[in-house]
Amino acid sequence: MIGQLTKAERQYALLILLGIGLCGLILGIASKDDPLGIHGALIGIAALAGVFKVISIYYDPEPDDERLTRYYDDPTKFGIILAMIWAVFGLFIGDWVAWLLVKPDFTFDAGWASFGRLRPVHTTSVLFGFGGNALIATSYYVLQRTSRARLPDQLSPWFVLLGYNLFCVLAVTGYMMGITQSKEYAEPEWYADIWLLVVWVVYFAIYLRTLARRKEPHIYVANWYYMAFILVIAILHIVNNLAVPVSFGSAKSYSLFSGVQDAMTEWWYGHNAVAFFLTAGFLGMMYYFVPVRAGRPIYSYRMSIISFWGITFFYMWAGSHHLHYTALPQWVQTLGMTFSLMLLIPSWASAANALLTLNGAWDKVRDDATLRFMMVAAVFYGITTFEGSFLAIRSVNSLSHYTDWTVGHVHAGALGWVAMITFGSIYTIVPWLWKRDRMYSPRLVEVHFWLALAGAVVYVFAMWNSGIIQGLMWRTYNESGTLAYSFVDSLIAMRPYYIARAIGGLLFLIGGIVGAYNIWMTIKTESKVLPESGADAPEPVLGGEAVLQPGE
Amino acid sequence: MFGLHYRLERKAIGLTLGIILVASIGGLVEIAPLFTIHQTVEDAPDMRVYTPLELAGRNVYIREGCYACHSQMVRTLRDEVERYGPYSLAVESKYDHPMLWGSKRTGPDLARIGGKYSDEWHVAHLNNPRDVLSVSVMPAYSWLLKTTLRTDDLGAHLKAQRAVGVPYTDDMIANASKDAYGQAAPDSPYADGVTQRYGKATNVRAFDGKPGELTEMDALVAYLQVLGRLTDAAHKSGANATR
Amino acid sequence: MDLGHGTLVWFSKSFGLFYLIALSIITAAYAYWPSNKKVFDHAAKSVLRNEDEPWR
Repeated sequence: MIGQLTKAERQYALLILLGIGLCGLILGIASKDDPLGIHGALIGIAALAGVFKVISIYYDPEPDDERLTRYYDDPTKFGIILAMIWAVFGLFIGDWVAWLLVKPDFTFDAGWASFGRLRPVHTTSVLFGFGGNALIATSYYVLQRTSRARLPDQLSPWFVLLGYNLFCVLAVTGYMMGITQSKEYAEPEWYADIWLLVVWVVYFAIYLRTLARRKEPHIYVANWYYMAFILVIAILHIVNNLAVPVSFGSAKSYSLFSGVQDAMTEWWYGHNAVAFFLTAGFLGMMYYFVPVRAGRPIYSYRMSIISFWGITFFYMWAGSHHLHYTALPQWVQTLGMTFSLMLLIPSWASAANALLTLNGAWDKVRDDATLRFMMVAAVFYGITTFEGSFLAIRSVNSLSHYTDWTVGHVHAGALGWVAMITFGSIYTIVPWLWKRDRMYSPRLVEVHFWLALAGAVVYVFAMWNSGIIQGLMWRTYNESGTLAYSFVDSLIAMRPYYIARAIGGLLFLIGGIVGAYNIWMTIKTESKVLPESGADAPEPVLGGEAVLQPGE
Repeated sequence: MFGLHYRLERKAIGLTLGIILVASIGGLVEIAPLFTIHQTVEDAPDMRVYTPLELAGRNVYIREGCYACHSQMVRTLRDEVERYGPYSLAVESKYDHPMLWGSKRTGPDLARIGGKYSDEWHVAHLNNPRDVLSVSVMPAYSWLLKTTLRTDDLGAHLKAQRAVGVPYTDDMIANASKDAYGQAAPDSPYADGVTQRYGKATNVRAFDGKPGELTEMDALVAYLQVLGRLTDAAHKSGANATR
Repeated sequence: MDLGHGTLVWFSKSFGLFYLIALSIITAAYAYWPSNKKVFDHAAKSVLRNEDEPWR
């Protein structure tokens, strides 16, 4: 995989790995008997494994300059594999915790296996592990094709991909040991946050350096979305994770903000993680893979520009709708609600743009499950954004907030939109990357599609039902003017829906396993190898200027 | 003008700056004033800080992810006030770094749980919720009773809390470990220091029923019993008071 | 920089709504400016040219 590194890059890789290993060692020593020590050791082991890997290829012959006439897809390939591993793991944990709400004693009497610790393992694994790896992998691919330029060097893409996965592993293992900031979707502690920031800066630098060498004067709109994803996530990550560690040897830190300011900052982050991680990033994916797979240009390029600025501007105001009727000042709640409603316009423009692109290619949608994945994703995107605006209305929110309706809404977005567009894109990209003429089994893609759709629908319907019933039971009064139901009554009423939800999740998990198997077999099975197409190559550099400076 | 705009967009840096500018406006307008407007957080002169034991219990609460299923925010809605108690004020989480308002009620809200049940009830419930309530879906936290609470670093915890704005005194920081022990051992010589530093109303008792040992159960129950009781402000304020 | 409530209220009351409208007009004008049409059409088709062949 890393055989294409030049001599200089191999040396830099060793230096970086030694630096990381040293950081791990220092954390391990400073931590004494804090759980941080385990993470120090984990970082050290990861760095050491990397060192061995680089040494094992260190004396291999250097790649020749012929490589510069091709795109650099090795990190993309590895990223796709990692994304599928995280998908299966994250979906499994998700279904496991769903069953925990049915059979709460499945915890082996151990802290790491209890619901409260495994829930963030699930959310981080699917959102950041699966979603993040898919975004990084596809962004490398799209960036190179739309710029007609090769990635600027071969080391930094690996640094970003593997560094990001180190962050995910630190996060997930941390929760099981009880290391958490408790900020939803930003649970990793201070040292993991600092590490992610380093990785993220390098990630954006790759983008700028590749764009600087692009042939097309215009930057294709997919890249706008990917760039907004990287940039805004950086801003959100920095502000929301400001904290003071207890000591250098302690994993624990205390958030800089407290109470109402902390709540607003957290949901400004939380909602915009949805906006710029789960929406902008995957819209970037959509604006590239839908036209390419359908073989038709995007319906309205101009509409995509307008929705881009609409989404970038409006979303940042919407976070406060998570705090209706709380101690947050009402003017902030009202602003959040207003902008959440306006957000529907750019959101539906994007969904319509995708669906109208398919207009005239419906025969392909019927025959090709991969394209159907993307079509259904756009439909779910439209439904979920409508539901999101609806739930942001104060009076609706008073019923839905704190209930399973929110969980259903999130999963309509995560299963229906994020996962479906990703699976569609992965099924598109895998045969191209590994030079196969098609997936190992188109039938299994079909099976995966129906499992995923059935799973998502069962899940979402179960949560709509339980959420609305819950919300109504909590506010129902009897004739004498007292509350009609105790909290326990509502808990008992939830049970059938919790079982249905766990079954829906199981279907989706099985679909994910089928997909992972299909992708694995596509990679393993030599099918008819496509002739190396001369067209899929970066623009040759004129004037003999070296494309790649050693160690760049 | 549009020629300029076009050139700007062609430059990746221009696009970058445009995204940052457009995206920043919303956050700035909504978050920045929360820090400068005085009315955002009410005044409550009787508001006290968490004792070291309660803070340690809060950290157990965070560690176990209790916030994933329990909110600590009673909204200004009639049914919530009648079910849980007076609606929450901003001042009540003034010293909560981070806040634990939560977003989901798989279990009930806990903002007003302090003093509602006995220590014994909490210990039995945490040890195995189904001993108390057969239909509960909460995990059992039986290891809390067996795990000794770590107290040697509590001084450092208080110091970090002070760094982010919680008014712990040097005296409180210096005696953090002793106070944690004393609060759960009413007959020990350390017990007096707790009420002296944190006020007469502080709960000082063997929360887990075992005065000699300081367990994580002590800390968590101490924390749960003080929820909603750091200040009286919520019971006195506007609509809550007339109720 | 004093970014307090007062400053922001002053800003939003100084035709805040019109600033937002202006922003959307600029975006819309940019997107629909006739001379940009060629660029955008070209960009929309760019992903379909010189690419990997579809797998079938």
